[in-house]
Amino acid sequence: MPFQAIPTPHYLMLAAALFCIGMLGVLVRRNALVVFMCIELMLNAANLTFLAFARDRGDVTGHISAFFIIAVAAAEAAVGLAIVIAVFRSRGTVNIEEIQTMKH
Amino acid sequence: MNTPSFTMLDFWPVIPAGILVLAAIVLMLSEVFLTPQASRAYQSILSVIACGLAGLVGLSNMADAPRAVLQGYAVMDPFSSFLTVVVCAGTALAALLAAGFLQHRNAERGEFYALMLFAAAGMILLGLSAEFITLFVNLEVLSVATYALTAWLRRGSRPSEAGFKYFILGAFAAALMLYGAALLYGATGTTRITEMAGPLTQAVKTQPGLVYAGFLLVAAGFAFKVAAVPFHMWTPDVYEGAPTPVTALMSAGVKAAAFVALVRVFVGLSPAVDPQLPFIAFSTLAVLTMVLGNLLALPQRNVKRMLAYSSIAHAGYLMLGVAALFARGGDTSAGVLSSTPLVAISSQMQNDVFKGILFYLLGYTVTAIGAFGTIVALERREDETKGNAWDLDRFAGLASRKPGWALAMTVFMLSLGGVPPTVGFLGKVLLFRAAVDAGLLGLAVVGMLASAAGVYYYLRVVVYMYMRPAPEGALVPERRWTTEVALVASAVATVWFGVLPGPITALLQRSDLLFTR
Repeated sequence: MPFQAIPTPHYLMLAAALFCIGMLGVLVRRNALVVFMCIELMLNAANLTFLAFARDRGDVTGHISAFFIIAVAAAEAAVGLAIVIAVFRSRGTVNIEEIQTMKH
Repeated sequence: MNTPSFTMLDFWPVIPAGILVLAAIVLMLSEVFLTPQASRAYQSILSVIACGLAGLVGLSNMADAPRAVLQGYAVMDPFSSFLTVVVCAGTALAALLAAGFLQHRNAERGEFYALMLFAAAGMILLGLSAEFITLFVNLEVLSVATYALTAWLRRGSRPSEAGFKYFILGAFAAALMLYGAALLYGATGTTRITEMAGPLTQAVKTQPGLVYAGFLLVAAGFAFKVAAVPFHMWTPDVYEGAPTPVTALMSAGVKAAAFVALVRVFVGLSPAVDPQLPFIAFSTLAVLTMVLGNLLALPQRNVKRMLAYSSIAHAGYLMLGVAALFARGGDTSAGVLSSTPLVAISSQMQNDVFKGILFYLLGYTVTAIGAFGTIVALERREDETKGNAWDLDRFAGLASRKPGWALAMTVFMLSLGGVPPTVGFLGKVLLFRAAVDAGLLGLAVVGMLASAAGVYYYLRVVVYMYMRPAPEGALVPERRWTTEVALVASAVATVWFGVLPGPITALLQRSDLLFTR
């Protein structure tokens, strides 16, 4: 055997860690762009989970799902970055704490 | 190579979405040939015609037998076909409102209507989806279009702020749901909801952690989308900052589609797990959402924000219906959160709940869009940055100046509050009766008390319109025939469906509303 294959649980642990880092980042970080990156991290954690399970089962559904997720994430990023630019143009900052004009 | 073979029967359910997408492309392409000053009156009319055609196809699909289509990636049943009709009606009304709104702000462009129609197509397809990746893609189709619509107006800081908040929390919710779907895929080896229940029964014994984590994440994602407490924080800001016609579309269409998808996923998957768990989850969400939605709306003097909280409360009533799907039938001695082992209710009761949910969605759509439509006519661009564009004082003395407008708004407020003879009352009756039949007496009482509290803030608008004198220099509603057509249509629908619900209930009087394997 040329190399020792990495067992599936390792991939899953990595994906779970990425997902948790992403979720924590969305909740804690204050820079809009960093928050945005954290969301991408969460999507990629889901991607990795799909791929790990697909490899484990020898099933193509998970592989195909990953392509769809990548495409959707790209579309979302386009609109999301446009909105971040609109926020920056109207306020000159992308700090989330300063984006709070509406009263409760 | 095994190529899947499709017949025309597979494509019928997606034709409404196809019509909308086609119209959206026509709108986008035709915009290329227009100068900035050119009249764009045709755009809203074209959108309404497209919605009308799509709605008619959806209505004719109601008669078909429920079946899985497109290799089980989508299903066609009266539940999704009725959602098509509701979404098309809501989008048509919102497009009519948008014409006047955008023209006054000099922001009328074909892309706005195109995005609206893309969002509507996403909603329709979300209702059909029976597979997690299809569901995710369609959810994103509708969400990405709505993010862009929310930030459409580029004057002032509010729209971009609202768009940003909606985007961050929407994408967060989508990521939660997707990760949950990935875990469920890992547990079962399939992403098709109709095929999942079987393997899930096995997986729940061997890998319970995986299954329950998947369930929890998918449920949390949906709770964000339907704005259930405690996942509602984004709603008031987004609804306030978005252009009002977009708010109308969000409160009606997006929510309706998300509820239909929620019901489809959880009714499809929960047979594999103890029905008590989804019941506890959804009834807790229902209680919190009904009570807090109404309580938070009470102190609002900003009518647009008040309607945002009210839409949260209405999501709570619908959540009560969802909880009833997982309740044990007939046993009224069960408390608000019963701890006895529950068995699923009979299919007849379940069907009554589906009927209640669908009727409620229709009623809420016509009423909420009408209420937001009145705000469209009363708000002014100049006041938006000051933040008093939606103040309660705007409505003072409206009845003596413009009795027709005041009457329409009264109808909408009574319907939202659930006062007869309106569609809102009838929707609540159907939904709460189905919940009581399913044994949720405690929850239904909480719901009725919460909605009684809600009547206070709805009637306050009516009191301002009829009993307060008009302030000096009071604004008259901006008149435009499209806005007036939309308001008259929704007011007539609100009263008509409230007095003569026969045609609608006859349409929903079936034993196979939701396709189940």
